[in-house]
Amino acid sequence: MSVRVIDAGPLTTVQDLGRAGHLRVGIPPSGPVDKDAFVLANRLVGNPEGAAGLECTLTGPRLEFGDARWVAVTGAETPVTLDGAEMPRWASFPVRAGGVLKIGAARAGVRAYLAISGGLATPLVLGSRATYLRGALGGIAGRAIRRDDVLPLGAPTGHAVERRVRTERIPAYGGEPEVATILGPQADRFTPAGIAALFEGSYEMLPQSDRMGARFRGPRIEHTRGHDIISDGIPLGGIQVIGDGQPIVLLVDRQTAGGYTKIGTVCSYEVGRIGQVKPGQRLRFKHVDVAEAHAVLAARRAALSSAIA
Amino acid sequence: MSYPEPRLLPCGDLAVSVELADEIDREVNARVLALEYLIQQKGIAGITETLPTYRSLLVYYDPAVIGADELHATLRALVAEARPEVLPPARTVEVPCGYGGELGFELEAAAGKLGLAPEEMVRLHAGADYHVYFVGFTPGLPYMTGMPERLNIPRLENPRTKTPAGSVAIGGVQCCIYSVESPGGFWVLGRTPVRLYDPAAADPILLRAGDRVRFRPVARAEYDAIAAEVAAGQFRPRVTEAR
Repeated sequence: MSVRVIDAGPLTTVQDLGRAGHLRVGIPPSGPVDKDAFVLANRLVGNPEGAAGLECTLTGPRLEFGDARWVAVTGAETPVTLDGAEMPRWASFPVRAGGVLKIGAARAGVRAYLAISGGLATPLVLGSRATYLRGALGGIAGRAIRRDDVLPLGAPTGHAVERRVRTERIPAYGGEPEVATILGPQADRFTPAGIAALFEGSYEMLPQSDRMGARFRGPRIEHTRGHDIISDGIPLGGIQVIGDGQPIVLLVDRQTAGGYTKIGTVCSYEVGRIGQVKPGQRLRFKHVDVAEAHAVLAARRAALSSAIA
Repeated sequence: MSYPEPRLLPCGDLAVSVELADEIDREVNARVLALEYLIQQKGIAGITETLPTYRSLLVYYDPAVIGADELHATLRALVAEARPEVLPPARTVEVPCGYGGELGFELEAAAGKLGLAPEEMVRLHAGADYHVYFVGFTPGLPYMTGMPERLNIPRLENPRTKTPAGSVAIGGVQCCIYSVESPGGFWVLGRTPVRLYDPAAADPILLRAGDRVRFRPVARAEYDAIAAEVAAGQFRPRVTEAR
């Protein structure tokens, strides 16, 4: 009932759907950056959508299975092999006891997700197994997995069979994506030229980006009167612009509050897409209003529920 | 001064910020906490989480359960009822603090800058009642004011890259206690052996928005004794409740 880590990869963490309800004491939700890819991995192996799995960053782990399980790998475009044989992504397949699964280096995208039938059974901390690295909370002792860790597995509850995500629903991670963005909470602290820069420019993902925030470089976003505000809550996807006029999109491990102006907020359903933009790749912010965003969110939720053939 | 009407600021498709004023003020903050309390008490369907800060409440919601118009109307109605009196009694938490020396390595420099003797600085700092406006940035870190004006001090010109967890520090009119080792721009006057954030504990967070805090100066021997009790999971800080 466990999996042994032969190689961990540079940053592989245990995640579930996150630790809701603790923002008010300064604890961010954590959870997968690309929630849709994570949920689909779980559904493919017959798990509840919040079962704990692994988030791999750029390169995945090599794992030895202690007993027979079904697995699925979604997210970043990585080679997946089982005992050296190439396996499909966005599809479930069985692993025998003793089988060695390897998730390789991402060709496109950044974060790959591994779901295992039964889910990872690491301890619940404040109601969640998600790893919050800066707070040393959850997962395996609050840290990324390491070589020789033994990851406990739960008893499979669902019905595991071969399932696959419909081909047309598998996202492409290349190119220059557009992410829907709502103005506010502090759009009034930016000049019209600053707002135009955000929506007309293209922004390059910087390598300093992590689960806390995605940092970008592009056309300068001009403030009206300084970048300081009285500290307030930072929403998921909040676009903080500090003195250098460059945007930082705050993600799942974000600081809960901060004193910098936020020009806008990337829509929740685009956060996962940002998490798949590689350093050096560019993206654009596309202006939408709240009503448009709610319509798209409802459509995305419906699409997710019919994504598996 | 509160705004005549709250500002409802969009924060993406799942959250709205209810901003009551543009200042750091105890009364404004009490209204923010009262609004949060009313939302919890009434159990508004579709509101999934709340996050209070100095003068605003970030409200997360599920638009499949409550539409934006209905949410806004509900929040505006609740703001009208959100008076400090609706809040339950505040807790006062006593925080032991070892001042000066290696624990409070900037006490002397801060006292020198303000033209005070270090002992007087400690007397003034520990004599005040602190109010926790909110908790955040890092897990369990309280944003507090309450210091006598005499202790107002500009932030450090060159922020430290590392401040030990438990450091009690001041900057401007604010006092904070670093909950995890982190960079910092406040003057470190002392350190508490109590953990404000303990990821191994069942309840990892000591302080909550709305709490009051009193610092009790402890000598090094008592600091070490409390630190040992904390490490053994046996220390319980003194907590009282009062209006």
